[in-house]
Amino acid sequence: MNHIKLLFFATIRDRAGVKSMDLEIPTDMTILQLKEKLGTDHPNLKESMKSVLVTINREYAFDEAVVPSNAEIALFPPVSGG
Amino acid sequence: MKQSCRPMPKLPSSHQSAAVRLPITEHQLSMTQLPTIYSITESEIDLNDLLARITLTSTGAAAIFTGMVRGVTARGDAHETEYLEYESYVPMAEAKMKQVADEIREKWPVVEGIAIVQRIGKLYPKTPTVLIACTAAHRDTGVFDAARYGIDRLKEIVPVWKKEVGPDGQEWVEGDYIPKPGE
Repeated sequence: MNHIKLLFFATIRDRAGVKSMDLEIPTDMTILQLKEKLGTDHPNLKESMKSVLVTINREYAFDEAVVPSNAEIALFPPVSGG
Repeated sequence: MKQSCRPMPKLPSSHQSAAVRLPITEHQLSMTQLPTIYSITESEIDLNDLLARITLTSTGAAAIFTGMVRGVTARGDAHETEYLEYESYVPMAEAKMKQVADEIREKWPVVEGIAIVQRIGKLYPKTPTVLIACTAAHRDTGVFDAARYGIDRLKEIVPVWKKEVGPDGQEWVEGDYIPKPGE
């Protein structure tokens, strides 16, 4: 099992109800599988997981990427700064 | 506020020989490196301070874009705004601002100084929220395009979000850009 830290921002944080979460996940879990797990474990997040942006250690990451051990994973909607 | 520097591409030979002969002091470093400022801040954006920090003796032009909270929106879905509440994933946002600055230097090597600052927190109409400034020797060097690129890129890849609060309630503003691998 791998230990990871999840961070949530904006709409995703509102729906999760928390800013961050620590999680144990199977080794070799992909981003897609992580999103499916979050949608299942937290029904409030299920809809958001379709369009969420994901980062691994502060770089944008995509469905096929494998989540490394001790990763900092952030989930958030498309950005709206300026 | 973070500041990084990269070597200036072309220096007069007198500067180069001086740098070889003498011990490198902070003052000399500032003469031989291009200023790049990138920051997420909760403080007021100080244009004069930022401009001074990205102005070199060779600078003759600065293109500055700043955005502010619009209290009354007429275009599209007309509405009023009481305030915007900004938040950011700060360490990643600052890294992505650095990336935007690097991209600007890649595309416009003539750019001398770059400042990219995003203010976060609760911000009311007329308040500046973001500033992108690029300096160059002359105005016809692409420096306007460089600043335009900076704000467009910030709105694509820098993780900052705003919640809009108005008379009819509150709503997160969501962008529509999906970053590609390597961005």
